[in-house]
Amino acid sequence: MSNQWYDESRPGLTRRHFLEKLTAAGAATLLGGAPRLVASEKMGQPEATADACILLWMGGGMAAPETFDPKHYEPFNVGTPVEKIISTFPAIDTAVDDIKIAQGLENIASVMDRATLIRSHYQADLGHILHSRHQYHWHTGYVPPQTVAAPHIGAWMAKVLGARNEVMPPFINIGQRLEGHGESEELKAFTTGGFFGSEYGPMNLPYPEKASQAVKPPKGMSADRFAKRYKALQEALKHSPQGEGISDYHQESMLRSIDKAHRLLGSKERAAFDLTLEKKECYDRYNTGRFGRGCLLARRLVEAGARFVEVTTEYVPFQNWDTHENGHTTVQKLHQQIDVPIAQLVKDLEERGMLDRTLVIVASEFSRDMIMEGVPGSKAKDQSRAKTTVIKEMKHYGLHRHFTGGSSVLTFGGGMKKGALYGATADERPCLVTKDPVSIEDMHATMFTAMGVNPTTAYEIEGRPFYATKDGQGKAVKGVFA
Amino acid sequence: MLRKLIYLTLIGASSNSLDSAEVDFAHEVVPLMKKHCIECHGGGKSKGGFSMNTRALVLDGDVLELGKPEKSLLMELLLTDDEDERMPPIKKQKHPLAKKEIDVFRRWIASGLPWEEGVTFAKVRYEPPLKPRKVKLPQGVVGAAAVDYFVGKTMRKQKTAMPPLADDAVFLRRLYLDVTGLPPHENARKLLAQGKLDRAAAVDRVLSNDRAYAEHWMVFWNDLLRNEFAGTGFIDGGRQQVTGWLYGSLLENKPYDVFVRELISPVKGSSGFMKGIKWRGSVNASQTQEIQFSQNVSQVFLGINMKCASCHDSFVNQWSLKDAYSLAAITADEPLEMFRCDKPTGEIADAAWIYPELGQIDPNLPRDKRLAQLAELMTHPENGRMQRTIVNRLWRQLIGRGIVHPMETMNAEPWSEELLDFLANTLVEKDYDLKAVMRVILNSDVYRMQMEQVKQDVAGKKFRGPVRRRLTAEQFLDAIRSTTGVWPEPDGEAFRKKGAKGGQLNAVMLAHGMQEWDARPLRASFTKRGLLQAALGRPNREQVVTSRPELITTLEAMNLANGDNLALILRQGAAALIKQHAIRDKLIRHVYAVALTREPSAKEWSIARSLAGNDRSADGVEDFLWMVFMLPEFNYVN
Repeated sequence: MSNQWYDESRPGLTRRHFLEKLTAAGAATLLGGAPRLVASEKMGQPEATADACILLWMGGGMAAPETFDPKHYEPFNVGTPVEKIISTFPAIDTAVDDIKIAQGLENIASVMDRATLIRSHYQADLGHILHSRHQYHWHTGYVPPQTVAAPHIGAWMAKVLGARNEVMPPFINIGQRLEGHGESEELKAFTTGGFFGSEYGPMNLPYPEKASQAVKPPKGMSADRFAKRYKALQEALKHSPQGEGISDYHQESMLRSIDKAHRLLGSKERAAFDLTLEKKECYDRYNTGRFGRGCLLARRLVEAGARFVEVTTEYVPFQNWDTHENGHTTVQKLHQQIDVPIAQLVKDLEERGMLDRTLVIVASEFSRDMIMEGVPGSKAKDQSRAKTTVIKEMKHYGLHRHFTGGSSVLTFGGGMKKGALYGATADERPCLVTKDPVSIEDMHATMFTAMGVNPTTAYEIEGRPFYATKDGQGKAVKGVFA
Repeated sequence: MLRKLIYLTLIGASSNSLDSAEVDFAHEVVPLMKKHCIECHGGGKSKGGFSMNTRALVLDGDVLELGKPEKSLLMELLLTDDEDERMPPIKKQKHPLAKKEIDVFRRWIASGLPWEEGVTFAKVRYEPPLKPRKVKLPQGVVGAAAVDYFVGKTMRKQKTAMPPLADDAVFLRRLYLDVTGLPPHENARKLLAQGKLDRAAAVDRVLSNDRAYAEHWMVFWNDLLRNEFAGTGFIDGGRQQVTGWLYGSLLENKPYDVFVRELISPVKGSSGFMKGIKWRGSVNASQTQEIQFSQNVSQVFLGINMKCASCHDSFVNQWSLKDAYSLAAITADEPLEMFRCDKPTGEIADAAWIYPELGQIDPNLPRDKRLAQLAELMTHPENGRMQRTIVNRLWRQLIGRGIVHPMETMNAEPWSEELLDFLANTLVEKDYDLKAVMRVILNSDVYRMQMEQVKQDVAGKKFRGPVRRRLTAEQFLDAIRSTTGVWPEPDGEAFRKKGAKGGQLNAVMLAHGMQEWDARPLRASFTKRGLLQAALGRPNREQVVTSRPELITTLEAMNLANGDNLALILRQGAAALIKQHAIRDKLIRHVYAVALTREPSAKEWSIARSLAGNDRSADGVEDFLWMVFMLPEFNYVN
């Protein structure tokens, strides 16, 4: 681990320091009007402990007490006062002695000896719980609205690190439909390369089973003809009388996109997109639903050289982890969706000798609680759809409020410790972080550092520096690195 | 100890601060900040990433420890002898701040950084005018010349160089694509080739092509009015098209005030907009049809974001929950209870209009009468906001970026208030004739300027020239079909009506003296969305969309490279072109002329011939077409 650089606290905001940054920026001017790299030239990038990152996103607010941080279990009984309930699932043993997780996650429990479980993640109080805002915050490191379009962390990795295999799109987003539901515009707002431009944005594959269609050449066209046609286009571009106009970012961006598309369409790597090429028994193991198939696709894509892959259980208002009522029943189904695929992904990566260099992160925009909305003292409004003081029916049984004071992040591989627990939350409500708090900025800094991106990396946009972690303040959590 | 020290240093300071270490923020600190700090660390500036706009921002800067000036970096920076470090950074003076002044900062930090509520050094938000405003013009400067006058004035003020004018071929392609959505007509191209192009006549000619104009601007209005031929809501009558009404209105160039009135207080065929979409199942309180009405009427006609306020008082603008519900109540059949963040408040909203200075709604009138009142208020001659909003949209469509930008924040400051006011006044003077406003813009030199070389999509306050705009999915397909001559067959709900021979559109066409729909071409604006158009950015129109993405992503590029839909269009197109042009050179010349409004260069001739020249199969021609249609030159209005 050579990440000593973050042992030194960040130098204060002195003018000299800033001038140094500017000088570095002068030397690092990029072509074509791209945002300029302004910081971290001097500090250097840390040595990576991971080459690829798979973010398994539990969209909608995964309740830690129902998954990776089980607390006092209270079974379903009509008449139980709701304040007695913290978890609706009993705890089970895992492969690590002092780590227990919720019943229903037996397969993940069996690979806990490969994991570092962070139980002290917490989120900002944004005054009012809005999933899209919190998800924006988690995915970009910045709370919306922002005056510039903040890039997704996947876009940062795409921009700073580039592709692992230059044919593969560096940033692939699996499972999230971006059209057709209430908050899709808001989701689109952070599912983007932001000011880096669409070049660094995600390749969206909402349906894993249809991913292969996105990378096949047109029907009936030979590879030779396909290549010849593209070569002619390149020639025509070179000799276009409007050639000088090509420096416009609209056009430049289009050309880069066409180029990227062609490299992929003509490559052997496109087989990675085709789940039908997977052995049936393997496919069947992953096939718990769209998320499970997404995990399988993510494994194939990372094997083929993708840099950053996100797989989501999908955020749709009031669905999946967004349990405003019927929480227990819904989470039971979610356990079934995620348990086998996540464990299988870890085992598959390990079997292929890739786990040590692939950082797998299971995270969510916040946790949930039976009665508390936001954090103690928050002005967040109660949004439960199953309001009651005592349990009267199954609908009431579950964690229906959004809790930002303590959540869990499960990590595997990529330089993290094995079989380790980091941080803790209170056993009694409010289940706030009691030890080693990890903010979103620090979580990102940890991921960036593992991937070899200095969290103080900044690009200049609209005349000001914009950092990989908010104001360059994110600090990697040393305690989770092996 | 500290207190004593501070007390000692205060000797000689003003008498009223002698009593304690307290500091008077407004009278002591603010003037010093203005004098020494704000130029670099306030307003829009935050040098070194440090802004002093608000107390929170000062604290965020990590430059001080509350109550402990001796431990605060800020004090160190004020006191140090190191010129490279010292603040403010004026080298020559030894200490740019007087001792007394430094002491004010010391006391300020010591006493916990007192701040007065509401004080911010952030720029005061722009207050847009509501009513129309007269503009001053030099004598004799009217119409298009006035546009040039105001733009020139802005550019001189900005010290931006005036871009050179584009040549006639570029102008012609722009003009046709912007007004008709199609590449230049053959006749216009002939005039161009003969050097006989009269630009003003060309503008008149495109604007008088009612049908091409209407069929292109359907796209813009469908996006704005959420008008689709299929999708959410249609299956159980929860949504109605305004297609026939809209097409007729555009064909007639219906005056915009009448157009707006008919959308708010509906006539036959125009109620789909104000009724909105009835989703199946239960919806959030902020998505009821009444609230949709409130949001959409404000967004489309006034450039107001009422979306935040339909859940709670807005954080981003001045509108409150009550405003959103009052507007919604105008269209409500029953008393409308206000919901705050989806929870009932027990309060009933009274129908009311958001700009009472123009008049008010009588909440006791029946619904139809209330809607009629709203229609009148919205189109009140003194409602400059409505006028400015539409002319700003037209400017965006023709120039590439709004005078106020982005489109949805008509509260923001325009880069030229005078230009915006002038165009709004023009609209009223011309009796709300949208084409008349377009004519003024199209005849200006500004319209002919070479495109700005954009480096970023920044919401700039400056004008540096027209901005390149990407062809919409519909324009892209129409331009391809214009080149190949192969148009799709009529399809979709717009043309059908149970038991009747023709649908809504056919009826409108007959009423406007046209043949039934067998007369081609069938524009993409009248086809269903489909996968290809969706991939190229045509929205699903469940939300109001005012501008589409300007960039082509890798995934879109992959659709263009390998999508079955485009492949089929190219195959059919190639076959048709081969039939029309026995000689391949003629075919190549034709494709360049229609698609790019120019001849191929010598080098391009050889590339084109290498693909399409000697191939007996259609494959080569197909590939040649693909190559031309992938050029950025083809994909953008340049």
